[in-house]
Amino acid sequence: MSGRLTLTHTAFLALVALVTSYISWSAIKASTKLFNLIVVVPVAAIIAILIVTIVASALRGKASDGAMPSRANTLGDILLLGCFAVFCVALTKVGFDIATFIFVWIGIVLGGEKRIWLPPLFSALFTLILVKGFGALFPFPMPMLVF
Amino acid sequence: MLDTIAFSQAMDMLFSGFGPWLYVIPGLLIGLVFGAVPGLQISMAMAVFLPVTFAMDFLQAMLFLTAIFTGGAYGGGVTAILMNIPGSSSSVATAFDGYPMARQGKHNEALGLGLGASVVGAFIGYILLLFLIEPLAGLVLKLGPLEMVMVVLWGLTLIATLNDSTVAKGLMAGALGLILSQVGMSTTGVLRTRIGNPYLIDGIAVVPAMIGIFAASELLRLRGNTYLVEAEGARNISFGRILSGMFETFRYPGVLLRGSLIGAVIGAIPGVGSSVANLVAYGEVRRSSKNRDKFGTGVPEGVVAAESANSSSEGGSMTALLALGIPGGAATAVLLAAFSFHNLVGGPAFIRDERDLIYAIIVGNLGQVVLLAVIGLLTLRLLGMVVKVPLTYLVPSVLALCAWGGFGITGTIAGPVTVVCFAGLGWLMRRHDYPVAATVIGLLLGRMTEGELVRTMQISGGNPLAYMVERPIAILFLVLLVLITIFIPLWRLYRKRREAAENPS
Repeated sequence: MSGRLTLTHTAFLALVALVTSYISWSAIKASTKLFNLIVVVPVAAIIAILIVTIVASALRGKASDGAMPSRANTLGDILLLGCFAVFCVALTKVGFDIATFIFVWIGIVLGGEKRIWLPPLFSALFTLILVKGFGALFPFPMPMLVF
Repeated sequence: MLDTIAFSQAMDMLFSGFGPWLYVIPGLLIGLVFGAVPGLQISMAMAVFLPVTFAMDFLQAMLFLTAIFTGGAYGGGVTAILMNIPGSSSSVATAFDGYPMARQGKHNEALGLGLGASVVGAFIGYILLLFLIEPLAGLVLKLGPLEMVMVVLWGLTLIATLNDSTVAKGLMAGALGLILSQVGMSTTGVLRTRIGNPYLIDGIAVVPAMIGIFAASELLRLRGNTYLVEAEGARNISFGRILSGMFETFRYPGVLLRGSLIGAVIGAIPGVGSSVANLVAYGEVRRSSKNRDKFGTGVPEGVVAAESANSSSEGGSMTALLALGIPGGAATAVLLAAFSFHNLVGGPAFIRDERDLIYAIIVGNLGQVVLLAVIGLLTLRLLGMVVKVPLTYLVPSVLALCAWGGFGITGTIAGPVTVVCFAGLGWLMRRHDYPVAATVIGLLLGRMTEGELVRTMQISGGNPLAYMVERPIAILFLVLLVLITIFIPLWRLYRKRREAAENPS
C-alpha cells in the first residue's frame, strides 16, 4: 500500500482535521483570551503540521499503511460496530435488559455460532446476571423493560 | 525519622485486639471486584461504603477504606491483563504488556507478575511513607504548576514517542487526546465546544472514552479469532504458574524499585495520582531498558513497572493526605471525608499530634499488602477463567459490559455513546498503527495541563521563561523532554540505517 493513503486512513486524518478545526473555532469564538487558548491553539498547530507530515510521508511511500485486513473482515468489523452503536443508543430507549439480550444474541450469531438454541439462552442468562449483579451496584436508576 | 514511642503505641493499637483487622478482608474483596469491573471505580467503591464507616472507630474505618484502595489498585490490572480493559485509569499501562502476554498464553504468569509487583510496590510505598513522611511532604511542596506541566509533557512525550509506530503518528495520537480534552468548560470557566450538548459541559468523560478506545476497539479486532488464547493447552488456569509468575517479579529488582519509587513520588503530588504514576513509570522503565524495542509485545518488565508504580502511588498519595491534608486524587478525597466523620483534619498538626495513629495506619496497610497476596492468589483462579470462553460469546458480552460500564460512570446515555464513539476512533487508529494509549493519556492529562499552564502564567506574571530560570526541577524536566524529542527519532533513524546496512536484501 506504499505510495498512497488508504480510504480508512484518509477518513481518519480528515476526521482529526475536522474535529481539531471545530474545537479551535469554538474555543476562539467563546473567548480569544490567552488563558482560554493556551492549549487549544498550540496543539491545533501541531496537529496541522503532523497531518501534513503524515500525508506527505505516505504519498512519498516512506510510511506504508501495512498489511490491510481483507474487505470482508473490514465489513464485518463495521457491521458489528454499527450494531454496537445502535445498542448503545437503544439502552435507555428500549431498556437495558432487552437491548442487551438482543445485542448479545445478534453479536454471537455474527461471530459465526451455528447452533440455534444456544445464543438466545446464553444471552438471556448473561442479561440476567448483568441486571441482577452488575446493575445492582450502580447508584443510578436504569430503564428496564422486563425486570 | 521514626518516633519509636509513637511506633510502639501504634503497634499496641493494631495488635492488642482483632478489632482493627475486622474489615480488612471485606475491604480487599470489595476493592478487587470494583477494580476489576470496568465502569466501577475504586473511588466509587470507597464513596459507596463510606457511610458504613460511621459505625467504626477511626483506625478501623481507615483500614477498611484503604483496603478497598489496595484491592482496587490490583483489581484494575486483572482485566487490563486478561481483556485489555483497564478496570481503572491507574491500570492503563498494565495492559500494554500484560494483554500481549495473555494473548501468548502467558496469562497465568502475567497475573502473577501483576500481583507480585502490586504487593511489593504497595509495600515499598508504605515503607517509604513510614520513614519519609516528613521530608517527602516538604519535597512535594516544592513542586509548583510549572513542574507539573513539565511532568505531564514529559510523560506524554515518552508514551507518544516510545511506541512501535512512527514518531509522527505517536505525537499525532497524543495531540489528538490533548485537543479532545479541551471540549467543554475551560479551567477558567469559559464554555466552549459543547455542540449544544449539556453532557459535554464537563468535557468528554475520560473513563468511558478509555473503555471504548482500549477495550471495544480491541474486541472488534479480536472478532475473527476463536479464543483469547489460541493454543488450547495454554488456556489452563494454573495456580502453580500464577505463583511462579509472582516469584518471577523478583527477577526484576531494578524495575520493581524504580517503578515503586516513581509511583511513590508521583503519587505524593496532590492532584496527580496513580494514573500518571502508572504511565510515567512504564515509560521510564521502557526508555532505560535494553529490551525497549520489545515493550508492548508482552515483556514482563512492562507489567512489573506499571503495577508496582500504581500500587506504590497509594503510599505516596497518603503522604499528601496525612502530611498536608490535601487529597492526591478521588480515592484519598473519600479518605479525607472519613477524617471529617471522626472530627480529624490531616496536615502538619495531625502529624505532630497523632503520630501513633499515623504509624498504625501505615503498619496496618503493610499488613493489608500481605493479605492482598493471599486474597489475590485465591481470587485470580476465578477471574482467569475468562480465557476459556470462546470469542464468539466473549466479544458481544464484553462489548455489552463496556456500554454498561460507560453508563455506570456517567449515569446517563452520554457514557455508552462516548464508549461507541471512541470504539470507532480506536478501530481506525489501530488499523493504521496510531498508538491509542497516547490519545488516552492526552485526554487524561489535557485538563490538568491547561490548569497548570494557566497557573504558571499567573504566578510568573506572564513571563514563564524568566520564572523557569528560578525553578531547577522544571529545567531538569525540560532538558529530559528536549532530549527525548530529539534523540529518539535520531536513534530510530540510526537503527534503521544500521539494519539496512546489515541486511541489504
